[in-house]
This record gives sequence, structure tokens and C-alpha cells, in this order.
Amino acid sequence: MTALTGLRAVRHSDVWIFGTMLFSACLSLIASFVLSVDAVTLAADPASDLSCNINAVISCGTVGGSWQAHLFGFPNAFLGLVAEPVVITVAVASLGGVRFPRWFMCAAQVVYTLGFGFAYWLLYQSMFVIGALCPWCLLVTVSTTLVFASLTHVNLRDGNLYLPPRVQAPAVRFLHADLDVLAVTIWLLVLALAVVLKYGGTLFA
Amino acid sequence: MTSPRGSSMGKQGRERSRAVREAQAAVLARRSRRQRWVLAGGGLVIVALLAAIVVVVVNAAGSKSGDTVAGAVVRPANATAAGALTIGDPDAPVRLEVFLDYMCPFCGRFERANGAEIDRLVGAGTVRLEVYPLAFLDEASRGTEYSSRTANAAATVADRAPAQLPAFHRALFDRQPEEGTAGLTDDEIAGLARAAKVPDDVVAQFGERRFAAWVAASTKTALDDISGTPTVRIDGRQFTGDLYQAGPLTQAITAAATGPQ
Repeated sequence: MTALTGLRAVRHSDVWIFGTMLFSACLSLIASFVLSVDAVTLAADPASDLSCNINAVISCGTVGGSWQAHLFGFPNAFLGLVAEPVVITVAVASLGGVRFPRWFMCAAQVVYTLGFGFAYWLLYQSMFVIGALCPWCLLVTVSTTLVFASLTHVNLRDGNLYLPPRVQAPAVRFLHADLDVLAVTIWLLVLALAVVLKYGGTLFA
Repeated sequence: MTSPRGSSMGKQGRERSRAVREAQAAVLARRSRRQRWVLAGGGLVIVALLAAIVVVVVNAAGSKSGDTVAGAVVRPANATAAGALTIGDPDAPVRLEVFLDYMCPFCGRFERANGAEIDRLVGAGTVRLEVYPLAFLDEASRGTEYSSRTANAAATVADRAPAQLPAFHRALFDRQPEEGTAGLTDDEIAGLARAAKVPDDVVAQFGERRFAAWVAASTKTALDDISGTPTVRIDGRQFTGDLYQAGPLTQAITAAATGPQ
């Protein structure tokens, strides 16, 4: 029981929450970087990929070349290059003991929630519309989920979201019952199941 | 006077606070019981999901190790041992090999750029065309296996109505669906074949998928050999020029036809 209580204390500590955030944001940044380099290469030399490559689950370079990959007129991965360093800075500063104002954390939550939604819209597009999967995109999806979960965790814990008490109190109870861990675990497993269901055959080719 | 009243108020107060405490304890107990149920339920969901993932992965790995397409490999007439459908005079001086997938958009571009020239060179007796209809983009047709269905249809036409193969082949690219869509239905493919003057009894055989195993086998062989489609070879050597405009391929073929002599 004491071990469990200790584990819980660690889980709700700044070190754990911001450590997770830092780690996931770094993963996301790496993936965004790889995808950006790909996008730039593709743009510089469209002939470099003028065939349907075999053994790539990405069938014909269609993910990188689709309109969904350039929703705002530039490769989506650039958004990760812009946003993730901010998350990394926030995580590192918080690990160093900096406390950001409430409005700052709330704004971060709003913006990151938009990014989180965008990541899943892209995943949906690549799975069901484009019909191809790119492993780096999937890494972005997973790490974005983890950053979102840790950011939401800390903001609920510290009451940063200007929620009415009627919502805030159950939210904190939810955290203390460890239901957030349960929810994120189930979420990621559903994602994994969707991926193996859709691409199982190709993944093990 | 004061003490009895005070004691009675105290008793009432104690009772009231005990009642409040009990109510709170009941709420807490109910809450923690509910939490335990939720945690147990969540644990079950996690176990079920893990089991489902394992089952799917094992199935996928298992189906890959065995042959994905059941049935014996039947090689169509007019097909080479390497897995190509032949078009044109077998004694033509230049052998042109084209590896393609009817779903591959770049193969469509290649066909639009060079199809007419290839037809002309085949007609002139300069080229014998060997078409490898591959099916590696089956994943890109929302589960309808468009690549396999069209490759099988082309093999069936090559087997039973070889004279109609060029027209059918051209029609498949003229009406090529976008990659990632369900593609044409079996009826639509049959319609294209009939429009290309493939006899009805041959069209009727598309559904049997008699050459599905052959397509799968020749796809597997080809994939060890090439890295993408379209791959074009002239007399066995890969053509590395521009595939997407008319001219360079024709020149290379003409050079191959006149060069060695």
C-alpha cells in the first residue's frame, strides 16, 4: 500500500509530469524534423519519387504529396517544428522550478488541444482516405497524445483551466483515482489495435 | 438551567454532526466502490485490447508466412515463365518489359505518355511487349483488392482473347481510379472488357479469379527484382530516361532495334 501511495505521489509530481512531457515533445520534434526534411526533399525534386515504391507501406509517396499534408500551404510537419520547442521549453523551465501564470498554461492547453485534434484528423485521413501509413506520422500521433495527457494532467492538478468547481472537483477526483492513466492506456491500445487491424498484413510483409 | 439545555443542544449537535459524518462516509464509500468498479472494468478493457492486438498480429504474421492466395498456380497462355503477358510478334527484334500495377498512378502517367507509341511499335513489328501486371497495391483500394482483380482480368484476357489484350490494357488505364479509392467494381471492369471486344464468355470468367494465384506468385517474383512501378526494360536492361513524356522511350527502342544490326 505504501509503495502504491509512493508511486501515486511520484505520478502527480512535477518531475514525472514534466519529464514525460519533455520526453514526448522531444520524440515529436524528432519525427517532425524527419518529416520536414522529407517534405523539403520531395518539393525540391518531385522526380525523386515518381514511382510506386515497393515495400514502403506509404504506397506512392501519396501521403507526403496529398493536399492533407499541406493543409495550410506548407508541410504540416513544420507546425511540429514550431510548436514542440515551446513545449520543450515549458517542460524544462517547469522542471527547473518555474511556475507559469494560470492564463499562460490555459492558453498552452487550448493551443495544444487544437494540435492534438489536428494530429488525429491527419491520422484519420492517412488511414481511411489516403490509405497509407507513415511510421513517423504515427510517432507524432503517439507523442502528441502523451504531451496532451501530461499537459492536461498538470493543468487539472493545479486548477489552471478556469473550470467551475462543479467540473474541477470531479476532474481532480478522476486524477486521484488514477483514471487518467487508465484512459490514456486504453486510448493508446485502441490506436495500436486500429493500426494492426488496418495494416497488419503489410507491417509484417 | 443552563447545563441541561446546553447538554441537550450538545447531544442534538453531536447527533447532527454524526449524521453528517455518516452521510459523508457513505458518499466516500460509494465513490470508492464505484472507482474500484471502474478500475476493474478498465483493467478488463485493457486485457481485452491486448488480447485482440496479439490475435491480430499473430494472424497477420501467420497469413504472411503461408501463401496468401489459395489455389494452384495456373499460368495463362501467352505468358512468359517470368510472369509477363506477351503482346505482339514473338519474333520482333526488341523486347520491351513493363512492370506495372493497374492501381499505380505513375503507371497511368507512363501509359498516357507512351501508350500510343508502344502500340505503334508493336504494330510495326519492332517491339514484343511483355507486361507484368503486379498486385502489390492491393492495400490502396480500401479492401477491394483492385490490383489483384484487374491483374487477374488482364491474365484472363491474355489467356482466352489475346488479340483484345492491348485494347483492354489501354482501357484500364484510361479509366484508372485514383489510388486509395475502392477502384472500379467487377461490373465496371467487365464493361471495359466488353467495350474492348473481349467475348462475353471470357468476361464471365473474371469472377473465377483463376489466375489470382499466378498473379500473386509473379508479383512475389517481380518484387525481388524491381524496386517500384513502372519499371521499364529494353532487351533486359532498365530504361532510365524520362518515362513520363513521349519521345525518349521511342528513341531508346529505335536505337535498340537498329543498333546491334
